[in-house]
Order: sequence, then structure tokens, then C-alpha cells
Amino acid sequence: MTLLFRRPSEMRLLVWVAALAVTGSVAVAAAEKTAFDRSQLAVPVAFIVLAVGLHLFLVVRGFRGDQLLLPMAAALSAIGLVLVQRLASSLLANQLQWTLIAAGAFIATILIPRDLTALARFKWMWALLGVALLVSPLLPVIGREVNGARIWIGVGRVTFEPWEAVKILLVIFFAGYLEEYREVIAHPRRFGPIPIPPVPYLLPILAMWLFAMLVVVFEKDLGAALLFLGIFLAMLYLATGESFYTLIGIVLMLIGGVVVYHAFGHVQVRVDTWLKPFSEDLRFGAGYQIVQGLFALANGGLFGAGLGNGMPDRIPVVWSDFVFNAFAEETGFAGALALLALYLLFVYRGMLIALRAPTPFLQLMAGGLSFIVALQTLVIVGGNARLIPLTGITLPFVAYGGSSLVTNWILVALLIRVSDLTARVRGTE
Amino acid sequence: MEITFGVLLWAVRIAFLLLLYLFLFRAFGVLQRAMATERAQSKPLGTLVVERNPSRTPRVGERFALRATNAIGRDAGNDISLPDEAASARHATLEMRDEEWWIEDLGSTNGTLVNGARIEKRERVRFGDEIAVGRVAMRLER
Repeated sequence: MTLLFRRPSEMRLLVWVAALAVTGSVAVAAAEKTAFDRSQLAVPVAFIVLAVGLHLFLVVRGFRGDQLLLPMAAALSAIGLVLVQRLASSLLANQLQWTLIAAGAFIATILIPRDLTALARFKWMWALLGVALLVSPLLPVIGREVNGARIWIGVGRVTFEPWEAVKILLVIFFAGYLEEYREVIAHPRRFGPIPIPPVPYLLPILAMWLFAMLVVVFEKDLGAALLFLGIFLAMLYLATGESFYTLIGIVLMLIGGVVVYHAFGHVQVRVDTWLKPFSEDLRFGAGYQIVQGLFALANGGLFGAGLGNGMPDRIPVVWSDFVFNAFAEETGFAGALALLALYLLFVYRGMLIALRAPTPFLQLMAGGLSFIVALQTLVIVGGNARLIPLTGITLPFVAYGGSSLVTNWILVALLIRVSDLTARVRGTE
Repeated sequence: MEITFGVLLWAVRIAFLLLLYLFLFRAFGVLQRAMATERAQSKPLGTLVVERNPSRTPRVGERFALRATNAIGRDAGNDISLPDEAASARHATLEMRDEEWWIEDLGSTNGTLVNGARIEKRERVRFGDEIAVGRVAMRLER
């Protein structure tokens, strides 16, 4: 009995998540058929059992520290399952399987690296592994091309987007690298207000930039390149507090963007559909998706059409690229605002964990991981709302897709571990 | 019958939105409480206590709460700023790595001393050790 109350806030929040999952599923199921079918409840119930299982696992392991991230991630995943049921019910079983695998990955991350700080020692191995994974879709047998982007690897029916795993490896590598060289990079000699960077230590930056651009060129993956650079610049800034580096990075990114725009057709299409999706030749062509997405957003109004009552099916590939618009159409501005607030709270919590972490490596890692969630949300929601060009980044936890879900749950596990370690070192609850 | 089903359907939809907000507020409450307890209970990772200092600031007995990384030096921008002319502007850093404290001299003019011995570059320090920067001697304590 005492076990149940070791992490009381987490347990209580999970009760709300359970209510949310069941209500959402019932609303969608009831709207589809006029008679309610009880077997539909199997999915949310399975999900709740899984989430409570993870909670109990943390309790049994005697974890201290954060009790907010697990329920937050569970709530977002629950919304994800409700939306998959709504938008692509044939994929629901698939998504539930991936959720199970994600839970397994969560548990593995909690158990396996015995000493979290030891991750820093293998930083070059992570970098190498990341690069290998990043180029793996280009290999002949396992690489797959889907919708014009060659970013998948597959064995048989199972496909995986290696980029998703790479972003976590990158954060660990950067954290390790920056912990070691931060002093040199953080205090450059200055020429007036302009710092002269210690070039040898910054070579990895240029290497990363080049590499990201190569990824865009060969894998046609705009979103990945953007995330890649974003993570790097953010972590460089976190480590050094030197805004000039960020400025250089953004300038390099803009130059890279202009070059890539003029050199590659698929980038031009993305930018054109962003600038003028309603033009005669794009409206029913390349711009169709974004146009329908905007109609869905507009249709949502303040409180939306109600779950299961909108017309999000009109957006092509809505379940993976445009879940935000579907959610906004059916739950309105109110729902969309709540969803964004959930992400905000998640990232805020992650940054707090980073601030309190006991070593620079853990601080940088936790900060970088939280930043991934923030940047991904910003880039995809911005793309969906036509504030920036649309890229193929997933909305964390919510969008349909296995690789993304598994990676995000690993990310949560890492943040919870940092928080647990902090609580042990500092002697807090 | 038709009407009641429609009403129920709307009730469920509204309930979903309400639950979303309720969860959000509860989560916010948990965060606030967690932040409050963390602030109240948290001990610093360590403290530096001033042992000897010929000048007036910092006075002997003053305690500096340590963070994961601490810059020590004469500049006001340091975490531990020592207005001592024998200390360099950016003198040393005291860092926690793998739950151990390490001090690193940043190429200071007069060097950094641990228990009276000048350190080369980076050295491990334990609780109870004395660190001297310029003419200020400080002891690392929990």
C-alpha cells in the first residue's frame, strides 16, 4: 500500500490522463458509428495499463525527483492515440504496438546505462553511431524512399526513421564535447566587440553544418537539417552564453538556405507553397495539403467542431503531417492552446531539471533534450499554420509514427534519470 | 432517443476539452509544488568557506554556495569574485564532475594552491581541502 504513494503526484495526474484517454476515445467512436461499440475501449484501457505500469516501475526502482514528465508524456501520447483513432483508425493497432515498444525503450533507458555521467566518456562513439545512422537510408538494401524523401530504413515490413534516434545521440555527443572544451570556446579573444573564435575547437561546428547540408541534398530532408543545426546552436549557446556564435550559425543557415533553394527543386516547392499556396497552379497541386490544413484551422473557431465532428480527412496524410490542424479543427482554439501549453510545461520542466543538474554534462544534456521537444513543436506547428515553410518533422508524442514515439519516450526516460540523480546528489525528495 | 444521443455526444466532447484543461491545471500545480519543495529542501552541492584573507572582503568565515561550475577570480563577473590584487581576473574554475570536485587553474599569474601545493592544470579536491587563490584561502565543505 505504501508503494502506491511513493510518487503521489504522478499517480494522481495519471488518473486524469486515464479520464482524458477514455473520453477522447469514446467521443471519436461515438461520432463514427451511431451505436457505441464497447470493444473500442480496449485501446485506451491498454494504454492506461501501460502508463500505470511505467509509474509502478519507477516506484519499484525507488526513483526520486520529477513526477511531472511521465504523466505529461502519457497525456500527449493519449491525445496521439485518440487522433490516430480519429484520422486513420486502420493504423490504430500499429500505433498501440509502437507505444508498447516505446514503453520498453523507456524501461531499457532507465535500466541500462548504470552511470549516466559515463555516457560522456563515449562521446565520439555516439557521434560515429549518429553519422552511421544518418547515412544508413542511403545504403542500397535497407534504405527506403517514401514521398520523395530518402530518410527511412526498413527490414521487411518494419521501417524506422534513423534521424529520430540520431537527434538524441547528437545531444549526448554535444553535451560531452562542450563539457570538455567549453572553457576554450566560451572565452575567445576579442577584436573589439567581435570575438575571434578558437578555430580548431570550432571545426566540429563547420563539419556539422556541412554535414547537415549534405543530408538535405541527398536525403531531401529539410526538417532534419533544421533540427540538426537548431540543436547545435542552442547547445553551443547554453554552454558558452556567447550569442555571437548563434548569430554566425543563423547567418550560415540563411546562406545555406538560399543556396539550397536555388539548387534543389524540392526545396523550391516547399518555399513556394509556403509563400503563395492559394495561387492558381499550387492550390490543387503541391499546395493542396497546406490549403486544406488552413481551412481546417479556420473551421475550428473558438471551441471547435467537437471530436469526431470535423472534416480533417480532407487534408492529405493528416495523421502524420497535420495532426495539429486536425486537433485544432475539432477542439478549436481552446484545445490547440491547451496542447501548446502542455508542450510549454513539458519544456519548462525539462529546462528546470537542466538548471538543477549537478554536472555540466548533465545540464547540457537535459537542456538539449528539452530543446528538441521545443524546436520540433515550433517547427511543425509553425509549418502547419503557414508561419514558416512546412517540413516533415513530427509533432512530439502526438503525430502517428513509431520511430518518433520510441525516441521521445527515451528522451523522457533520460530527463527523469537526470532529475533522479539531481535529487540524490542534492538530498531532496 | 435521437436527441438524447446527440446531447450525450456533445457532453462527451465538452468533457474532453474540460479534462484537457483540468489536467493542465493539475500539472501546473504539481510543477509549482515541486519547485517550492526543491527550493526549500535543496542544499548547495558544496560550500567554500573563507579561512584566511589579509584584506577586508570577503571576510573570514564567509560562505560561498557552490553550483555545478564556479568561476573564481578578481572580475566581478565571476561566481566567486575576490577583490584581491594577487588574484587574476579569471583565475580558476571549480567544477563538479561525476560527483567529484575538480579545480582547474586558468593560467593565472600567481597560481592556484590546494593544501599549500601549487597545482599544474587540473586537480581533484575533496571536502576539507584548502584552496588558495591569490592571498585568499578557502576550505571546501559540504
